[in-house]
Amino acid sequence: MTHRDESRTDLGTIKIHKKVIASIASLAALEIEGVKSVGGDFKSGLLELIGKKSLSAIKVEIGANEDVRVDMPLVIKYGYNIPEVANKVQESVRNSLEKMTNLSIKDININVQAIERG
Amino acid sequence: MRIFTVLGIIFYAAITITIGIALIAFSLNLLQPQNINDFLAYVRAYPNSRIIVGLLGLLFILVSFSFAQLILGRFQREKTIAFMTSSGQVTIALSAVEDLIRRISHHMPEIKELRPDVIATKKGIMADLRVVLRSESNIPELTARLQDLTRTKIQEVLGIEEEIVIKIHVAKIISAEEKEKKRKEAERLEQPTVPFSGYGRV
Repeated sequence: MTHRDESRTDLGTIKIHKKVIASIASLAALEIEGVKSVGGDFKSGLLELIGKKSLSAIKVEIGANEDVRVDMPLVIKYGYNIPEVANKVQESVRNSLEKMTNLSIKDININVQAIERG
Repeated sequence: MRIFTVLGIIFYAAITITIGIALIAFSLNLLQPQNINDFLAYVRAYPNSRIIVGLLGLLFILVSFSFAQLILGRFQREKTIAFMTSSGQVTIALSAVEDLIRRISHHMPEIKELRPDVIATKKGIMADLRVVLRSESNIPELTARLQDLTRTKIQEVLGIEEEIVIKIHVAKIISAEEKEKKRKEAERLEQPTVPFSGYGRV
């Protein structure tokens, strides 16, 4: 499995770590109104308890053709239309990743894990 | 059913049947402790047989882990509602729908407690709600309102048009007296007790 996306320039190579892709995706998702947090699964809950950011909850896969697949779990705020929020997140993540990394994004899979508890 | 699932089921059935037969034989006195002892002594006597038994144990553990993972993975997969968009797949965990229903109940003061259980079938979504009500509530009116509100909210939030069946089970009705009793009990527990306060000076 490739850990980094690599591109070559005249001066050398540029490697983008998967964590960077996950970080961009996380920030782009949190910009959308209706998104409470990224994560929500058991593992990220445990990490949050010890004060660590739940970037590990976002799975980034880089294929042989350098196309990127992102799986991200989300917690949505109460009262928002989930498909609408998910669609906006997908668009935002795609735009941010394409703009910041020039990568070709294949899939952005959203997994709504929970609704914000009151 | 896939071949691996079938093999896994046969494996577990075979193990369970073997243990069952051994226990029955033991209880009927057909299997003597001496036989078990002889077998264990035989296994222990030869290094090769010990290696074989050890490897067999390892194999059992591996098969059992992979089978458990297969079952758990399948359950997890079934516990979501999924749809495709142009950018990829969106899955909604049924526990998120349960969270949503819990939040709806917060808007109804007559509901003391609500435990939802949501299942997604091919026909649509089925939600079983187990509720504890306060005594002053009108049950038919309240349950109808809860069903209506839950259905509307699920449709609104998930944007689905499939059938949504809401079943309500009123598990308990808490009376005002019971509530008062619980409040007094809680107050009593909160009052600090002075240690050795019951003793007088001699």
